[in-house]
Amino acid sequence: MIARPVAGAPRPYRFPDFARHRLANGLGVWLVPLPDRELVSIHLLTDAGAAAEDEARAGIAALTAQLLVTGTRRLDAADFAETTERLGIDVGSESSWDSARAGFTALGSKLEEGLALLAEMIRTPRLDPKEFDRLKAERLNDILQARADPGRLADESFLREVFADGIPYGRPSAGTPETVEPLSVDDASAFHATHYAPDVADVVIAGAIDPDAALAAVERHLGDWEGTGPGHRTIEPLRRGGRRVVLVDRPSSVQSELRVGHVGIDRADARYFPALVMAALLGGVFGSRLNLRLREELGYTYGARCAFDPRRAAGPFTASAAVQTEVTVDAIRELLGQLERIREAAPGEAELAEVRDFLVGVFPLRFESTGGIAGAIEPVAVYDLPADWWHTYRDSLEAVGTAEVHAVARELVRPEDALVLLTGDAGKLRAELEGADLGPVEVISAG
Amino acid sequence: MAEIPIQRHLLDNGLRVVLSRDPRAPLVAVNLWYDVGSKHEKPGKTGFAHLFEHMMFQGSANVEKGQHFSLVQAAGGTLNASTWLDRTNYFETLPGHELELALWLEADRMASLLPAMTQEKLDNQRDVVKNERRWSVDNQPYGSWDERMQALVYPQTHPYHHSTIGSMEDLSAASLDDVAEFFATYYAPNNAVLTVAGDFETDAAMAMVERHFGPIPANAALPPPPDMTVEPRLGLEVRETVPDQVPLPRIYLAHRTPPFGTDAFDALDVAADILGSGRASRLYASLVREQRVAQDASVFAFPIVGGASMFALWVTARPGVAPEKLEAATLAELDRLASDGPTDADLERVRNLHAAHVAGGLERISERADRLSMYTCLFDQPERINSEIERWEAVDAGRVAAALGESVRADNRVALTFVPAEAAP
Repeated sequence: MIARPVAGAPRPYRFPDFARHRLANGLGVWLVPLPDRELVSIHLLTDAGAAAEDEARAGIAALTAQLLVTGTRRLDAADFAETTERLGIDVGSESSWDSARAGFTALGSKLEEGLALLAEMIRTPRLDPKEFDRLKAERLNDILQARADPGRLADESFLREVFADGIPYGRPSAGTPETVEPLSVDDASAFHATHYAPDVADVVIAGAIDPDAALAAVERHLGDWEGTGPGHRTIEPLRRGGRRVVLVDRPSSVQSELRVGHVGIDRADARYFPALVMAALLGGVFGSRLNLRLREELGYTYGARCAFDPRRAAGPFTASAAVQTEVTVDAIRELLGQLERIREAAPGEAELAEVRDFLVGVFPLRFESTGGIAGAIEPVAVYDLPADWWHTYRDSLEAVGTAEVHAVARELVRPEDALVLLTGDAGKLRAELEGADLGPVEVISAG
Repeated sequence: MAEIPIQRHLLDNGLRVVLSRDPRAPLVAVNLWYDVGSKHEKPGKTGFAHLFEHMMFQGSANVEKGQHFSLVQAAGGTLNASTWLDRTNYFETLPGHELELALWLEADRMASLLPAMTQEKLDNQRDVVKNERRWSVDNQPYGSWDERMQALVYPQTHPYHHSTIGSMEDLSAASLDDVAEFFATYYAPNNAVLTVAGDFETDAAMAMVERHFGPIPANAALPPPPDMTVEPRLGLEVRETVPDQVPLPRIYLAHRTPPFGTDAFDALDVAADILGSGRASRLYASLVREQRVAQDASVFAFPIVGGASMFALWVTARPGVAPEKLEAATLAELDRLASDGPTDADLERVRNLHAAHVAGGLERISERADRLSMYTCLFDQPERINSEIERWEAVDAGRVAAALGESVRADNRVALTFVPAEAAP
């Protein structure tokens, strides 16, 4: 039999070069010409995410973003959908904590028409009260659906319990029933008027474009957009301290959805790359420690993983798995055991090399599509990352050694301080959890 | 759209090879379709094709358990596999200079899986798959819908009657003997298609394929395909109400239709987009935006080739909307499209959305490789990848109306209604 073949010589890959411009009204314009593509992706990013909204109106950023695709002053909801889709353009508009994004991917020939419609939608949205009420009702229904879905219930319960009371990150970025219920179209109107402005916005265009023509098109459709935006608030991601166990009762569940973790890092953290590599080694790839132990050795789950969620302020670090009910307590011990283990000793060179080589080697694969490339520019624009971020990205990964991984694990993984949250059948789990010496146990209803 | 290049080869052992070169990025995709899926499972062995797929990652003669993943990932690649009704596929995408690694790994398990099989590995993966079933079906709101739908659309004796994930009982019964028999029967070069797409040199790639796959013997006794014959229509309406842990009722409607690959299927695929793709789609516009009786709407035609396919949709009721009312409103839209046919605007809209969607999918070499394998495995026609859009555009209003009239009718319908358990009688 033939042994493992020797690889050929690698062909170099470079993240596409891009140009950054700023129009007189403050709008950032990022152009990534990819001459061998047929498609173009346009993303319009605005500092109008959940971090920009008043806490009392939590959810208005998400609803405003969704409302934008329900028409313009010129075109009602039906006409706007018909007009864009007949061009083969499926416009998306959504928000996260740190930005709102509207955009689409279409054939390159549709750039001008698509950009015109996108600009019309951002600048002169219809803000139709009927459409607002519909979207609000759909959001409230979605909250009901989330409570019935064990994975989403666990995700949302984990955030609520891991951050201190009153910290925005403790609730879904799209708001809670209490904050969404009183919202009206006037709130969306005010949010749009205040936060959608060129000086806090960026347009990213990647794909089959002539950069001069694309810049001229942006200037034509967005150059006379006026206004200034206040940007976002500062969020202090205070955590609740101490190990504790929270069981969200979901009767007759045949699995427990585990979420274990605590507050992690923010996007500007100097330990970003070591943290990324450490999390991949612990739970970010198939051969990670969590997945190998809980899945490939014990068969407790279809998959176990962990990740940081860095935002402008520190988002959560979460390890997760859906495990069959009968092995829940042992699965928690095993999971916590892996968090202990990564702190105890530096990983071996070979183990680290495998993960680091994956992260470095998979780099070009992330940018096969125009949407992938436009998406990669987003954090550079939103978080003001250095312009050469992606060009030096693989060097930054290569610089992470076993000592850095160990150091960052000791600083950023804190099992003794971790919240252990699970959704599952309390009738079957409560007594065993209480007897397991994992920390104080609180049982709450799925509400 | 630019034509996708296709080169076909046939090895002496019957392995069909498709090459599609594209050197734009330094990446290569390797994709294998085995002509075996859950439709080939015997009674009492449901779920086995998928469990077997998991065993393919547990090592082979020259590869340790877990090493398939670790070698590809350390090379900077991604990989996975999936099992469905008609087929099982295995795929890697990795830097072009590591092409031979993927070919070697795939060939090693095609040639020599069994020496690596142990009871311990089978027991482990059986537990993993049972947890996959719990996660995706048993512990998931509405999670049993496709299993229930298949069981009602296809008669008990039909190979599509049971789900790919299978039953817990049958998974428990799977043995190492089953693994050996399944491997010997189906995992042979003359029952597979290998596609390589992306950055490679053609002669060098073919030499690697020959080197690694050429010595693997064919199975001279491949079983004939299962009998997929089925009446074209159900002949009646079947209704079932399912109490579940769900907050909102949801209605699933399914119909038996001509299979993937037929002109009628293409027409139904177009109809599915007219009804369910985008905010201007008929169901979204009417049920979600205008009447406000639905929270969401989704329509799809299953690309399966055995005897009959399915045209299915779901709509989720808004709170306070009776499922009967939602169903009536949904059927009114289906009937309107069937009787009046689509407008020119409907057709222009879905054709342009579809063209952008296809172009978006084919940007990725992994998707190109998978479709080439699919068209070769199912139809022996890889070149269908280049006529996808043309076939779609050939569907006119008359064909849409005719296909709906033939299949999407009350005497050919399964209606599955999920209701909140506490509200059930």
